[in-house]
This record gives sequence, structure tokens and C-alpha cells, in this order.
Amino acid sequence: MSSKTVLWLVGTTLIGAMYVAASAFVGGDRRLLLVGNTTDAHRQFELSCETCHAAPPFADAQASGKALNQTCRACHDDDLEAANDSHPSSTFRNPRMADYWNRLDARLCTNCHREHRPEISLPGAVTVASDFCVACHSEGDQDVRRVRPSHAGLTFDTCASAGCHNYHDNRALYEDFLAGHAAMPALAPKPVHALTARSRTFQRATGAPLAREDALAPAAVLTDDAALIEWSASGHAAADVNCDACHAANLPAGATPEDVAAHWVTVPSTAACTSCHRPQARSFAKGRHGMRQHPRIAKPRDPRDSLEDLGFSGVMLGAIADWLSTPPVPGRMTVGEARLPMRPDVPAHRAIDCGTCHEPHGVNTGQAAVEACASCHDGDHTRAYFDSPHHRLWQAERTSQAPPGTGVSCATCHMPMTEVRGTIVANHNQNDNLRPNEKMVRPVCLDCHGLSFSLNALADAKLIERNFTGKPAVHVESPEWAARRFIEAEDDTGI
Amino acid sequence: MLTFTEEILLLLGDEDGAPLPIHQHAFECALAGAALMDLAFANRIDTDLATLVVTDPTPTGNPGLDRVLAKIGDRAGTTDTQTWIRLLTTEDAADIRENALESLVRRRILARRDKRFPWAFGSVRHPTVDDRAEGEIKARIERALLEDVPDPRDIALISLADACQILPGLFPDQAIENLAPRIARLRRMDLIGREVAGTISDIRQTIVRAARAQGQRYQKRLLTFSAAGVAAVVATVLAPRVPYPDRFASTALDDLWLGGFWQQWTGYLLLALSVAGLLCAMIVREKLAMRMVGSHRWRISHIVVGIACVLALFAHTGFRFGANLNAALMGIYLAALLSGALAGVVIGGLPRLRRVGFGNAGRLRRGLLWVHALAICPLPALLAVHVLAAYLY
Repeated sequence: MSSKTVLWLVGTTLIGAMYVAASAFVGGDRRLLLVGNTTDAHRQFELSCETCHAAPPFADAQASGKALNQTCRACHDDDLEAANDSHPSSTFRNPRMADYWNRLDARLCTNCHREHRPEISLPGAVTVASDFCVACHSEGDQDVRRVRPSHAGLTFDTCASAGCHNYHDNRALYEDFLAGHAAMPALAPKPVHALTARSRTFQRATGAPLAREDALAPAAVLTDDAALIEWSASGHAAADVNCDACHAANLPAGATPEDVAAHWVTVPSTAACTSCHRPQARSFAKGRHGMRQHPRIAKPRDPRDSLEDLGFSGVMLGAIADWLSTPPVPGRMTVGEARLPMRPDVPAHRAIDCGTCHEPHGVNTGQAAVEACASCHDGDHTRAYFDSPHHRLWQAERTSQAPPGTGVSCATCHMPMTEVRGTIVANHNQNDNLRPNEKMVRPVCLDCHGLSFSLNALADAKLIERNFTGKPAVHVESPEWAARRFIEAEDDTGI
Repeated sequence: MLTFTEEILLLLGDEDGAPLPIHQHAFECALAGAALMDLAFANRIDTDLATLVVTDPTPTGNPGLDRVLAKIGDRAGTTDTQTWIRLLTTEDAADIRENALESLVRRRILARRDKRFPWAFGSVRHPTVDDRAEGEIKARIERALLEDVPDPRDIALISLADACQILPGLFPDQAIENLAPRIARLRRMDLIGREVAGTISDIRQTIVRAARAQGQRYQKRLLTFSAAGVAAVVATVLAPRVPYPDRFASTALDDLWLGGFWQQWTGYLLLALSVAGLLCAMIVREKLAMRMVGSHRWRISHIVVGIACVLALFAHTGFRFGANLNAALMGIYLAALLSGALAGVVIGGLPRLRRVGFGNAGRLRRGLLWVHALAICPLPALLAVHVLAAYLY
């Protein structure tokens, strides 16, 4: 090999390395540096490294670990608090827990949830072996096999996989709750999702809903019959929301038709939706559909700052900054980026925002609750829904053959109605109650089903795949165990 | 006047300063013999069949020769000429050569061209800038072979050149054949030249026999280690990835691949081994370019280090390729290891390949070494980015 060839090779490699180093330190696309696939949720913003890696470059391991864990808590603390976290990190910061630090240091999120390690990632982004409870609950007073006769002989890999316990979220799995609801029948006498039922019984205070003739829009637009018909039958018209509310959103109340025409926007942005539906928008930005709009996601780096620090200025600075500009995190999730099975006929570039599920003029929530989901999702669970008892109930409700709240749509379980300061809104974070799936028990399942039946169903992966068509083949014993323990305790105390 | 060492060096180099294709042991013997002859003609040593003694310990003014003289003086006449030539061949040939080259460069007969940029891939050459001296030596040898009574110094030079088999490179085959009786006669005329030349001849025979046996052993070892290297690399690519432990109980493997500490240090071990392998390769190149002994040892070391790299790679990655830049690094690293190991197999199996009629083995070896060097070139940059990224995030 001649010296010239070697020089070319070394030179080319050095230029490549300089580009990669520049993209790491200054600005640019950093996908090359990803050491492994990011977990399903975090991959939405994996190009925005600083969202999680908040420590300055080359901070020592302790400082960067601390900064990393702070960013975990900044985003997830609210959820953990809502879940009444059974193992908050604050418990383990107590020096009396020092013995446990060497076994499994639960003070740091990243000891159990390592990112970019797909080969060891379990559901819930857990990266320790599934029998991790053994670390603390196998010795002394904490040895559950000794202190709970019902647990004798159980292996630790069944703690969190058999529908009995979760590490963080046990709002439906604590002993009192299990014992108190163990005797519930599989199906309630009047199965109705209460919040959904309340939300569907919206009554106007006074007057009639807006009609087609009331539409406030430029004359040219008023010729679009289809749009006008859809709008006049919509919840928007029923709630006195006229065309100008979305298409000329910035106008003050009482604007004239001329003002509306002058400020008319043919395709309003999602900001028009957000201005009225703030709680929904907030929860949407927490779910995987809309996570890219979450305000905590770090903004793209500006290479100019680093280049100025390096002594660049003028034209050179501008040229290099343009070359190294960090691609912004795409604003919306697209179908092509999904890891779940999607319909092959849906264009990969189809992006998700309010209008993707809610048809803009009809804003039909019924359509958004089922058909919109199935227009993209194509997994077994989705396909099986249309032959399931839940779907039959949904059809009955939609055709007014059953009372409101008795039907079960995709949204009933995955975007359940919640009450926020007296207002009932759909939780648009469709992942909020998904993992671990026992999170779904209290806000959704228990309105219609018994606790035991719900836990059994949610522990049966095959049944979930069939979208709950049939009976659970798995039996979770924890409600009976909890109830028996209560009875024994009562017997012991003579109550 | 030039010394014998300088004259021999001039006769042994081509115009570009590359050594003529003679066996490296013969080359080093010639240098050792030439140094002894220089000392003999300077009346500093004398020799008989049993011993080589220092007759005058006064320095000659030539640093290289004076070091040899001091060495002989230290032994106080207890060692014979043959043993001295063996000793000087193995211990001092490089020093004698360097000293003579420096002298020739000082006299502006040769120039020093450092073609070692990039330094791992070149060598130092000494091309001829003034060919009058070399022409004069050749003319002197020619005259000595034709004249009735040649100069004793020329006789000694012819004896030495003939013992080292340099003469066939200076004259056409037919002329050498015709001059053979005259050369034999001249070799008998000079006592010290005859002694030195005879010794070199004996040593050459012994060395050739030993080198042949050693060469066979070397080829066998090279083949074995290289085949082991190929197997190790192929296993790295094809063996199933070692699964991570599915039980919480901490194991050594768990610590190795999941604990930052061990992954960091196995990474540094891999880096150190890679640098060691590179250094071994540079030493091999240097020794081959300079026709020095010991390249075999270093080449075997290079391959053993390569195998150690595969083991360290296993400790660092568990045979997992990673993603993106890490996958590229792993792929290129394995390509470098595999091409090197395959080149070792071809070099080790060269005689066998030639025996079975595989005529393109040389081309295959060159091709594999080219791929080997090609794969190594991007590694430093990739490794640097890999290490930097680990500390950055």
C-alpha cells in the first residue's frame, strides 16, 4: 500500500471522525452515536439527547448519573405520585437502607431502567432480571416467604409477572383493596363506565344548538355543504362553537363577518384546538402519540454558541453553523415510525395531531374512539376488537339500544374519561394506564367487572390478544390470599 | 579510504538504497566479517586457527570499529574467529551497519531518505548520490580478478564478497563461471581474509540448515496461530450472542457486561492490546525492511496479540455488535483481525500452497495484507469517537 493511499485513507477517516465529533460537541445529527435502540417511549425524542443527558460534557460519572436521574424524576414524578409509588426513591435514601444499596441501589432510576439496552429491556423499560424482588425481600424480616405463609415456596420471578405486585404502581394491588374487592362478581349488575356515562349526557343549559345558517365564515366557504352539515351536527355546534373559533382563532368575541373573512385560516393549527382543550392537549403530550410536543423536550442545540466559544466568527461561523445545524425533533409522530403493527395501506408519513383522530368539522368523538384507532393500528388486539363483546356493547350504545357508558370503545380503556377539577375529559395519554396493565383496573375495569375477574383477564396475554373474547385462563390468587389473611387476622383478634 | 564495511554496504545496496536480495543472515555475517577485516588491516587484531587476539588496542578513530575492538579486547584472546563472527552477527550487525551508513552519508556517497511517513508504513532508505565510490570498488574487484598480483586489500574484499555470495550480483553468470578458479586462488592468498571468509562460509552453511529447520517450525507455528485467529474471529461473528443473565443473582458475566466498571476496563485492555498489536506489526516491518533477524518472533507475537484481542473483545462485548457507530467499529475491527489472521494462514501455508500448485498465493497474501491495513486505517478515529461518546453521554 503506497504512502499516498494510506494518507488518503487516514485523511478521509479523520474528516469523518471530525464530523462525528463536531456533531457530538457542536451540533448536527447524532443518530450515529446511539449505542442501542431507545425504548419505545423515549425514542420519540432520542435525537434530543439533552432532554435526558443534562450534565455538561465530560462531567464525572457521579454528576452525570445524578443529572440523568433528575431528568427521569422531572418527567415521571407526577405519575409516580399519582400511583402512590410503593418504592419511592426517597425511602432508599434513608441511611438505614444502606445495606440494600449494594444489592439493588433503588435510589437511582437508572439502576433498574437503563436506556439504550434493548437486549435486556423488559416491559416498562425494566433492565434488571424479572426476579429482582429477591434483592430485598428474601432475608430477615423482609423475607416474604417466611412472613407470609401464602408466599412460601413461591419464586421471585412471579412477584411482578403474575398480576400480584408492581414495583411502583400498586393502587389496585395493595392488601386492603384486594381483600375489600375480592368478592366482587365477574360482571356488575349494571355495567356502566360512570364517568363516560356522565360525559355523554351533556345537556345544554338553554337555547338551541347552532345551525347551518348560524355559521360565521366567508361567503366562499359557506358553499361547502359537506363541511357545514358535519359541523352543524357536531358537538362544537351544540356547544356554540362557531367556525371563527377555529378558523379565525385570534379574533376577539363579537367580531364581524368582515373581520372573520380577513383573518380566515383555511387549515387551522393544533393551537386552535389547544386554546380550548387544554387538559386534553396536556395529556396528549404525555402519551406516545404526542410526546414530541412535550415542553420538557430539549430544544435543538444552536451550534453558534459552541462555535463562538471555539473562536469562530463571521462568514465562517455562519457556514459551519448551517452545516452542523441540529435537525429538530420532528413535531409529530408518524405512522412509519411506529413499532406496533400498523395498517399497510396507511402512508408512512401520516402524522398524528388532533385532526388525525378527530375529523375537523364533525369532531365525532365516537368515530375518534374506535374507527380512528383502527385506521392506523393493525395488531391482533385491534383486529379482534370488532368481534369482541366489548364492541357489541359499543355498537348497542352508539345505536341508542343501550344507555350511555355501557359501550366499550378503544378509548374507554386506553383514553378513559377522567375528572379534572370537576370537568370530565378524556385522558389523551393513551399509555397512562397501559403498563403495567393493572393500572387500568381502578379507572376502567372495576366499573363493570369484579377485581378478581379483571386481574385474571389482564394477566392472560392470550385473552388480551383476543381482545377479551372468552374467559380468562389465568387465575391470580392474590385477592383470595388477601381476603383469607384478613379473616385469619380477625379470627386471631376475636373481632 | 573506505572501510571494508562501507565497501560491502555499497556493494549490497541498489541505487535506491534498498538491500539486494540476499539472505539476511548472510548480510549480517558479511558485515561482521568486514568489521574484523577492517581491524585486521588496521593491525589491531590477528587470527590463527584457534584464537583471535587483539595485537594493538589503540582506537582506530572509527567509532563502530572501536566498539568491536573493545569488545574483542575484553575477551582477551579466548575466542576463535568463528565464534566472534557469530557473536558480532547476532549482537552487533545492526550497529556496524548504522555506523557504516552514517559514515557514507557523511562522505556524501549515500543520502538518508526517511520514507517513514506515515511512519508505520515506510522505511529509511540510503540511495546512492555519488556512484563513483561504488564504481571504483567494482573496478578494483574487476582489476584484481584480471591482474597477476592484486593488492592484498582487494584480495580480502574479493574473499569476503565471494563468501557472502555478492559476486554473482556484480558479474554476469558466465563471467563468474569463468572467474571461479581465479577467485578460489585469490581466496587462498590472504590469511585473514581466508579465515574470515572460511568462517562466514561455514556459518552460512550452518545458518542455512538451521534457518531451514527454524523456518519450518516458524511456518508451522504461524499457520497454527493464524488458524486459531481465524477460528476466533469466525466464532465472534457466528457464535450465538451470550445471553444476559435472566436471574437477579449477580454473576461474573453480569458484572462484565452490565457493570460500567468492568466494561470500561475491558475496553481499555482491548485498546492496549490493539496498540501492542500495531507496535508488533511496525517492528516486523522494520526488521523486514532492514533485513534484520527476529521478524519471525515479532510476527508470531503480532498474531498472538490478535488472538488476545478477540478474547478481550468477547469480555468487552459478549460478541454483541451494538448499534450504529459501535456496530461499524466492531465490524471494521473484526475485518482487520480476520484479514490479518487469513494473511497469516497464507504466509504460514505458503510452501504447502506452492507444493499443491497454488501459484497465486503471493498475490493472495498481498491482497489480504492490503485489506488488513485498509481496515486498520479508520480504527483509531472510530475508537476515539467511541471512547469520547462514552464519556460525553
